[in-house]
Amino acid sequence: MVQLNNGITLFLSLLVEAMPFLLLGVIFSSVLLLFVDERKLLGMLPRNVVLASLAGSMIGFMFPVCECGNVPVARRLLMKGAPTAVAMGYLLAAPTVNPIVFWATWMAFRDQPEIVFLRVGFTMIIATIISLIFSRQRDMRPFLQDNLTKLMGEPVDSPAQGGNGLKRRLGATCPAPASSAVPTSPLLQSGTFLMQAPGQVLQLDAPPAQVMDQLVPSLPPLKDRLRMMGDNMVLELRELGSVLIIGSAIAAFVQVAVPREIILSLGQGPITSILAMMTLAWVVSICSTVDSFFALSFASVFTSGSLLAFLVFGPMVDLKNISLLLTVFKGRTIVYLSVLVAQLTFLLTLAMNLYGG
Amino acid sequence: MTSPSLPRRRRRLPKTQRLPWQAIVDSLVMLLWGLMFARFTVTGHLYLLLHPDFMWLAHLAMVILLILGIGRLNQVWQIIRQKQRQEAIRSQEHFALLPRRFSSGLLLTVALFGMVYTPRPFTSETAFQRGITDVLGQTRSRPERFVLSGSPEDRSIVDWIRTLNVYPEPDAYAGQGVNVSGFVTHMPGWPSNMFMITRFVLTCCAADAYPVGLPVELPEGTPRPEPDTWLEVEGSMQTDTLDDTRQLVIGSATLTEIPQPRNPFEY
Repeated sequence: MVQLNNGITLFLSLLVEAMPFLLLGVIFSSVLLLFVDERKLLGMLPRNVVLASLAGSMIGFMFPVCECGNVPVARRLLMKGAPTAVAMGYLLAAPTVNPIVFWATWMAFRDQPEIVFLRVGFTMIIATIISLIFSRQRDMRPFLQDNLTKLMGEPVDSPAQGGNGLKRRLGATCPAPASSAVPTSPLLQSGTFLMQAPGQVLQLDAPPAQVMDQLVPSLPPLKDRLRMMGDNMVLELRELGSVLIIGSAIAAFVQVAVPREIILSLGQGPITSILAMMTLAWVVSICSTVDSFFALSFASVFTSGSLLAFLVFGPMVDLKNISLLLTVFKGRTIVYLSVLVAQLTFLLTLAMNLYGG
Repeated sequence: MTSPSLPRRRRRLPKTQRLPWQAIVDSLVMLLWGLMFARFTVTGHLYLLLHPDFMWLAHLAMVILLILGIGRLNQVWQIIRQKQRQEAIRSQEHFALLPRRFSSGLLLTVALFGMVYTPRPFTSETAFQRGITDVLGQTRSRPERFVLSGSPEDRSIVDWIRTLNVYPEPDAYAGQGVNVSGFVTHMPGWPSNMFMITRFVLTCCAADAYPVGLPVELPEGTPRPEPDTWLEVEGSMQTDTLDDTRQLVIGSATLTEIPQPRNPFEY
């Protein structure tokens, strides 16, 4: 009974602590998706591969989304002709290298600032290395899902022109009815668009406005934009909130139900602790905006390196993410990606456990 | 994936009289979550869950959630009034791990649960399970500096522990006056005239609460208080050997039973 009460108190405490950050993340991603134009952003990116990967991993500062929101954006970047290095860098780093996540991590680990900075540092290192590796591949198409390569593959006019981008996409994604219906009912178009572009929050959420945004350069009226924002927030909140609930429940359960000796013996070994936390990160799939609070509940018994492994690995690859990544990459690519990320995370955090603080 | 959805969409559109259930559920979820935060704030249970530094965040979340919920409800009202469904509300298809109904159900359940459940502070059993220490371990928070309040009698349990961490020689504190409050934990293997006066320390939220405590030696003839009783302990420091280590122990203790404080944690 005592255990149950403790578990519930832990569970509620995690929720109450994480919910504000989740809300802030959702608000930011909704606002910025509506106000930042990634096409303009692409024009400003450097040509050099290393710089491009670095830049890609920094774009997270413009779109502060957690790993649930970054796949659609990365997909959009690829479709709009972003270099592989940029898209990969963004995909891997954005969930961690962004202001909201940084702040949340700071709040949770303000007594151990090294965790906060190393989290960002390790993420940038891993994201850059992996985007460099993938940049060696000149033609990314074999790695990507067929429906995405079709969109990219057509002879491209200027990728900077949104109107063309839209037609290409609509033409390729909506077979018979919708492609011919471009000038007619925008509602129908948007409906199809929704189903085909999984995860594209803005477009999914407010399709009429999105179509307008693509066809007409000006933004929809403020009232509509605010409504779209509200809708998007509710949508993301519902989704991420339920994942947060499950994650918190698991964390609370592990804390009260698993005997302390087992956790301690796992958590104090420099290698076992990292492996355990990486597995946990993969399974729990908790959103990067709030995962630092989750990790915090293990802070007293697990090595710092393993906490970092959790914080670095989880946002890049996890169980939930796979379904999202599958909308961009083929299965094989995801395996490469996961193995690379896992190895690099392991090496870096092991180095920290053995040689660091 | 695309084509089957189109006809369905067409068929469903004319049914304008249907209630926008999803929007109603959404607004309920937001409102209930906001109310749950409000309840914890009003009852003071927020102190059991969070470090006071973060309370403003919880309050902010409460306001945002309530605004979102009311906004959504307003939308529902408009839809019902206009007898016409807005695309924006129903077009919430999204590639998600969890089905939408499941997500909504889960959020709703937890919010309802939070409305009725009363969180309870951690007890001595938890303290024992988490391992009470008078030494803050390697992974504990180690403040670079902290300022001690003037006299030893003003130190709280965690102040004592931090002082001991800086200068661990127990003899240095012998004879100093102590006045601390906390709850009683019986440690296995200790003699019957000893118990641990304990507090949980928070850095962020209840998830990282860890217990700290000081051993108390009861004067002759005083019965050992029940575990989890909240006490104010007055006495003076002495050194004693417990669990094969020489430690600081509160001696010649006077115990006063106190009600459980509104905020049971120390920071």
